Amino acid sequence: MVQPGFFVLHPAVLPPLPAGTYTLHGEIEDIPAGPVAPLDSTITVSSPRWTMPPDQILSTFPPANSEGAYRATLPQIVLKRRTLPWERKVDANERIPWLALVVVAEGEGSLSAESPVEQCITEFTKVPQPADRDVATSVYLSVTQTVVNGIFPCKEDLELLAHVREVDLSDSELADGDDDGFLAVVVANRLPQPGFDPKVGHIPRKYLACLVNLETQLPVLPPPTPDNVLVFEFDSQALVQDLRPMAQQYVANPDAFAMGSSTSAPFVAQRDVRDRAARPTDVTDAYIGAAESVETVSHAVHTASSWSPSPAQIEQAAVSYAATDAAKLVRDAMAGSWRLPVGAITFEPVYRFPVLAHWSFTVTADGTFEQYMQNLDVGLLGTLHGDKPAQPAPTTTAGPPPDVRPAPELAETGHVGLDHLTRRGDQVRAWFRGPAAPHPTVREQAPTSGPQKGRLPFAHTSDQLRVVVPDGREDVSYAAAYEIGRLLALSQSAVVTALMRWRQEQFGAQRAALLAALAAHPVGFLDDTLFEHRTPGLGALVGRHIVLGAAKKTDAVFASSRPLVDPGRPLDFLDGNLDQVIAAGLGLDFEALQRNAKRLGIVGALVRTAVQVGAQPDPALGGPAFTGLQADLDRQVGALVAQSGRTGIGGAAADALDDLLADPEERQ
Amino acid sequence: MAELKAYLDASFVLEATVTGLMNLTPAPADEDDEGGVHVVPFDIRQWLARLRLLEGVPFAYLAADSELLPRESIRFFYLDRRWTDALVQGALGVGTVSSGDRAQLEQLYDVIRDEVDDEEHRVRPVGGEGASSTSQTITGFLLRSRAVSGWPGLHVRAYDRELAEGDNAVIPEGDARRLRLLRMERLAPAVLLVLFDGVPQIVHIEEPRRGIQFGVRLDSDPDGVTFSPWIRPRDATDPQKDIADKVTVPCRPGSPGVLDFRHLNKKLLGRPDTHMSGDGVVDSAEFALEAIRFPYRQVFGDTAHPVEELLDVFRPTVFIAAEPHEKTVALTERFTAGLA
Repeated sequence: MVQPGFFVLHPAVLPPLPAGTYTLHGEIEDIPAGPVAPLDSTITVSSPRWTMPPDQILSTFPPANSEGAYRATLPQIVLKRRTLPWERKVDANERIPWLALVVVAEGEGSLSAESPVEQCITEFTKVPQPADRDVATSVYLSVTQTVVNGIFPCKEDLELLAHVREVDLSDSELADGDDDGFLAVVVANRLPQPGFDPKVGHIPRKYLACLVNLETQLPVLPPPTPDNVLVFEFDSQALVQDLRPMAQQYVANPDAFAMGSSTSAPFVAQRDVRDRAARPTDVTDAYIGAAESVETVSHAVHTASSWSPSPAQIEQAAVSYAATDAAKLVRDAMAGSWRLPVGAITFEPVYRFPVLAHWSFTVTADGTFEQYMQNLDVGLLGTLHGDKPAQPAPTTTAGPPPDVRPAPELAETGHVGLDHLTRRGDQVRAWFRGPAAPHPTVREQAPTSGPQKGRLPFAHTSDQLRVVVPDGREDVSYAAAYEIGRLLALSQSAVVTALMRWRQEQFGAQRAALLAALAAHPVGFLDDTLFEHRTPGLGALVGRHIVLGAAKKTDAVFASSRPLVDPGRPLDFLDGNLDQVIAAGLGLDFEALQRNAKRLGIVGALVRTAVQVGAQPDPALGGPAFTGLQADLDRQVGALVAQSGRTGIGGAAADALDDLLADPEERQ
Repeated sequence: MAELKAYLDASFVLEATVTGLMNLTPAPADEDDEGGVHVVPFDIRQWLARLRLLEGVPFAYLAADSELLPRESIRFFYLDRRWTDALVQGALGVGTVSSGDRAQLEQLYDVIRDEVDDEEHRVRPVGGEGASSTSQTITGFLLRSRAVSGWPGLHVRAYDRELAEGDNAVIPEGDARRLRLLRMERLAPAVLLVLFDGVPQIVHIEEPRRGIQFGVRLDSDPDGVTFSPWIRPRDATDPQKDIADKVTVPCRPGSPGVLDFRHLNKKLLGRPDTHMSGDGVVDSAEFALEAIRFPYRQVFGDTAHPVEELLDVFRPTVFIAAEPHEKTVALTERFTAGLA
């Protein structure tokens, strides 16, 4: 495993067996059981040949469909399986990869539509073991001998253009989603240069990067440059070949083009019509594609903006079709500028190379990153570029505007003088400064005295933030900030809704707190608590506390049920006529009393009734002994009465009342 | 127990009520994952913080005059907190109808301001994770350059002090001296707005690292027509060693931009200081090592400090260990054995 932060470069990782079909031949000799028939079994080592499976492509540089200043960078493609570039043998030197990345500019070649794989290679050329195919149809690149000589790598270069990179899998930036940490990298040999138009200078130029299969076509590759013609510079405006003007003529009038009546292509006159008939493989799609693209190509030469198809169109293709078709359509859209009928418009030998993967990108003429960064004009916001002097404000707005736009009126503080149309219609100049200031600013703090002490000032309208500065003009910076903040909030209904909902909730909480304060009014010290903690759930909270408190003191709070008042004890002797009972108790003759009452009235009868008087005290019960016994009795009764006062009411046990009642019975 | 019945007296109820109120917790409007309790609901807080970082503010408000941000310029600034506070006040003022609403806003504004201050640091979760300090000062820059449009995904880092390691050092992402990146956004294809939490002493802007690229440096004639490519050779045995020399790259005559790798190899082989294979064969690994192109880092800082030569010296986290030829062969064999 590679240690983090490092990666290891390997020149090549060769597969044990190159792709192809092999026969395993088995013979066993000299065994006692007799001769054994030889066994032949066939194995096929498969590998991509015409199309690169998408999961094998980890990344491309420049990114597909991107636009940028890639003129000093070599395009590359990163493949997942480390042995991929060497899985097919194209030369005795097994280190020569069968894959090459070629970078084709607009007009230099043509990318075909999907065609049977037999047609994806130069005519009269056959790949070995044609049955070894991964797909039935693929695309190919048609280029002339000039272009092959100009941009294809020579055989000696190939070995240097592919290598294997071993990376730390945890480094997502390098590993790119690989599974084993080994990546195969194929690099192109061409620095893509932006286009050039004498009228407008540099224009963006589209390039198509194609990963091509070089099987059987190594001899087609250009010879190495002789040592005596070495050059160390290149003319970035030169072209290798541009077939687009010819293609345009051809599409506009194929017959005239073929018959040589076209003025700009006299050599076409010798064109052999049979030659075309012998080339049926330039499929119709390619012609149709050319008809579409060539028109736009003619504009592209002159204007930087209208080259086609634009990245936006390609993105449009990516989103406007079903997912299954999108990949194909995007590839197709990216190949749009490379639909030229190459075979029909040139007499040079035309070669076809199977394309396993392709993508396009646009190179702009901008300089390098270093140049841009080093030439940046550095300053604080509020400083002007170069030595352009700050001009004083125009005194009046009358008069024709000056031809050259004057430098802005700029103050040391970063404020800019701007025309200000007041609400009354006056045209004045006001100061404005955005959120970016060249100096540190002081943030508003709460005043330490006055009625607003300890509270941050809060503006309710933008006018509260308008300031008149010492020079007599208005500074509307903060007022403008307030207004744009208000408008931004209003522009999003979700924000307005959230603000309103929050406000409502706050009011709910406040109302609950106020009600709680009223409820707890008798308890003065609660006020602080209530105002400090605004909560809507006060009732529930109190209820919970009561239940919890009660649960703690169950013995005091919970008891068996009993009536509020205990019933008295029944008095049996009170049954019957109350008068008779009283009379009996007083020892009166009830019947005589009733008789007299009928005659004399009750009062007269009572007067006349004689009261029985007890007998004279027994002399035996006199004396000091009797007085002592009586005092003893009084004491006992007094003690019993006192005891009955202490004993609580309730309870099953006999109480003092019972005792008191029982006592006389015992006496009797 | 069926006959149990609760007997509560008034003093008991009062006592429970008082205890309950004493233990009241404020009902928060919002609680985030980190356990923070906020009065301002999350969506409002988040939106106000984004507004504070000038999200959605029209560009004309940032630079009132195009002369303030000319082409190919970088402009540093302090963020005027009063301005952004006014922005927030304007947003909060939406929907206030009665003076009751306004009084309530005034009451709450202190809390809102503090909570939004806090929230500002959470808007962008990545960039300066190691930053320890939070500052009340926000600074930033506006960069208007074709470097922004041509190199999407620039790396911007700011540090609160001069780095003792020098301008070309590789600083870990989580370095504590880094300032938190509050916002980094392309306002227009060629305009980049960056906001830092604090006042930076050093700002690094780096070319995006899209994997590892291969390429050359180009010298052009004054007209920008003819280019001569060159590379700075590296020692294959010690990739960290610099060879302070240019090796011009041969080109294929008549083919703009096509490099002649075969001759470049010969040239590199001819230099003893590259220490390429002694067997006279240059393999593609050694070759790739020579052609790797490192991202460029531009440093903005106090010019009083010595500036090292920046071009091609800076090397980010990529270190190279090129293995000699023999080892790779061994690796191939191991791979073979693994299959068998």
